[in-house]
Amino acid sequence: MVNSNADALGIIFPNTYDSLVPELVSERLMASIPFAGRYRMVDFILSSMVNSGIGNISLVVRKNYHSLMDHLGSGREWDLTRKNGGLNIVPPFAQKNIKMYTGRVEALASILTFLKSQKEKYVVMSDANIAVNFDFKAFMDAHIKSGADITVAYSKDEIPAGVRKKDDVTADMYFTFDIKDGRVVKMDINSKENGVKNLSMNIYIMERELLIKQINTAYLHGHSYFERDILATQLDTLNIQAFCHDGYLARVCDLNSYFEENMKLLDEANLDALFSGDSIYTKIRDDNPSRYIGNAKVKNVVAADGCVIEGEAENCMLFRGVKIGKGAKVKNCVLMQDTVVEDGATLEYIISDKNVTFTANKELKGSDSFPVYVSKHQTV
Amino acid sequence: MAKEMIAMLLAGGQGSRLYALTQKLAKPAVPFGGKYRIIDFPLSNCVNSGIDTVGILTQYQPLVLNEYIGNGQPWDLDRLHGGVHVLPPYQQASGSDWYKGTANAIYQNISFIERYNPQYVIILSGDQICKQDYSDFLRFHKEKGAEFSVAVMEVPWDEASRFGLMVADENDKITEFQEKPKNPKSNLASMGIYIFNWDILKKYLVEDEADPNSENDFGNNIIPNLLRDGRNMYAYHFSGYWKDVGTISSLWEANMEVLDPEHSGINLFDENWKIYSRNSGMTGHRISSDAVVENCMITDGCRISGTVKHSILFAGVTVEPGAQVEDAVVMGGTTIKAGAVVKHCIVAENVVIGENAVVGAMPSDGEKGVATIGSGVYVGDNAKIGPNAMVSSNVKGGEEQW
Repeated sequence: MVNSNADALGIIFPNTYDSLVPELVSERLMASIPFAGRYRMVDFILSSMVNSGIGNISLVVRKNYHSLMDHLGSGREWDLTRKNGGLNIVPPFAQKNIKMYTGRVEALASILTFLKSQKEKYVVMSDANIAVNFDFKAFMDAHIKSGADITVAYSKDEIPAGVRKKDDVTADMYFTFDIKDGRVVKMDINSKENGVKNLSMNIYIMERELLIKQINTAYLHGHSYFERDILATQLDTLNIQAFCHDGYLARVCDLNSYFEENMKLLDEANLDALFSGDSIYTKIRDDNPSRYIGNAKVKNVVAADGCVIEGEAENCMLFRGVKIGKGAKVKNCVLMQDTVVEDGATLEYIISDKNVTFTANKELKGSDSFPVYVSKHQTV
Repeated sequence: MAKEMIAMLLAGGQGSRLYALTQKLAKPAVPFGGKYRIIDFPLSNCVNSGIDTVGILTQYQPLVLNEYIGNGQPWDLDRLHGGVHVLPPYQQASGSDWYKGTANAIYQNISFIERYNPQYVIILSGDQICKQDYSDFLRFHKEKGAEFSVAVMEVPWDEASRFGLMVADENDKITEFQEKPKNPKSNLASMGIYIFNWDILKKYLVEDEADPNSENDFGNNIIPNLLRDGRNMYAYHFSGYWKDVGTISSLWEANMEVLDPEHSGINLFDENWKIYSRNSGMTGHRISSDAVVENCMITDGCRISGTVKHSILFAGVTVEPGAQVEDAVVMGGTTIKAGAVVKHCIVAENVVIGENAVVGAMPSDGEKGVATIGSGVYVGDNAKIGPNAMVSSNVKGGEEQW
């Protein structure tokens, strides 16, 4: 058979790091957080996988996944409406002792039968908290070439404040590596060290058979966490190679970083770095082109389709269908889809979630270090 | 299951008066209004009116159109039974033929229509910008007990002689048809949109085909034959926005009217009557700190650093610093380099306008020409394109064309 596809299936964990952004995930999950004007976080990894020839992708969801189901639909926009493979959303399986999975091991254990029945030789796994145009092809090639058991992608970054400051035990863990000749020799969990580290992106590739074996063993021992219980304990016996991603990426680690990462994309160099590669696909809304009317004044703005701007906007990320009324002034804001700013309102350092309305002449200001968040469907 | 009404969309038009824009694509595939193509309008009207089976008759330069239509999914026309079908002329046991005329195009696809066993067939034109509810037209057709209905627009009397005119009595029953008459007896212009009872249409198509002297055209042959036989023919009055965008100036004008929906009546922002299109999939547009945007429409993928006034920019247009764009229609993927001045013109897809080049000019002294640059053209630095120019091949730096 002619095979233009990669010999790998993809698994995405859409709920990982939900705990970092409680505001944004009150009615959704990490993967469906709107980002960069017209996307959801999951679009980046999902499109990257598709663009690298991975056509069999499962999303193992834990909770709050209505918005994700709505966004992904049948997977058509990502070319994943396939007879073989395609998109596969796996909700928690209701059992007698229903228990939401805590770590990857339980999540994977719940789809073990599925994993066993697949044909692909490799499995790639990823979370959805990073907006990145990731080259899974290069990642896979590096893995095969090195002969590693497992390859993990990392970036050289400082540990983001958002994850560092979380101290409670329920928070998702993060991982940093010591690397020697490409091999991970030491793995730190929730390190508090300063400076640039080899920070894990939690993107993995390994053979499907190895994954099944490891999950079986870990599950039998009552282990929950893939990194803590499988990787960290077997650094001697498993050859875990590290793959450095040096391209652009945006991590969502808390509300501040969400704001900053959106703002960073106003810089053309960053926008190009994230989007000039293969296409990032997303749900189509059939909005009309954006319209600038009358005395609209716009500076340093990225806007999606469907916006109607009659007022002033400066340094803003405007999602699809945002309306800014006459005389309204919007500065340093991230306004999610269908936000309405009525005539004469003034906004600074605001993050508005979907369908928020700011009534006429309202004034609302946050600050650089503390943007004000307005939740879904609110009228201010 | 039989369909009540299916649509046949005539999309074979060459659009020769759009010359530079239709060199490589059929007129219905010409981009319009920032993110649409002309054919999006009749297709979206069909879907919004509840018609789920559409045959698109193509002939001239069909590649772009075929790819654009694809399986019809963007218009929700990917259906198990019905959906959208592109129908080029094909070879039959008795030989093959190009579509000789509008009626012949339908005649050659009688077997397609019969697969759906419809009661009514609506004939649509693929070169008009119009938002119309065809279900309302069908209701009229049924109420009148008509065998044939035609949608008509009232036009100013002094322009009436440019159109095919329907003369109708007080019950809207058509009594006479005048094709571009010197002395118009009516100001009801045919929009080229017809509803037929299928049995009647089939009968007249077969008859028409048997007539060796016929031009096989709806306006010239089928409608006069129906009149001759005293069929029940009615004129359905349509009063919404309608524009035949057959010329450069009317295409430009219609685009400009999109910028002013409050007055022109062409509202693309209607949530209840969405116009669907195949999406560019580009990321949001970016407007830099030095840019000026006034009264314009901008689509995904644009990068604006210059000045853009009263213009429509399609997906992926770049306007570099210092460039000026005014009263212009700039289609997808075009780059306007630093210092270039682009005014009162249509620039097709994937054009590069070089630095400090000048394209078109604002009207003055009764000179209202709309300069046109065809797709893929490279206009060199400092080149000058006059307001009446129609450019379809590269222009070297510094050259002038009028």
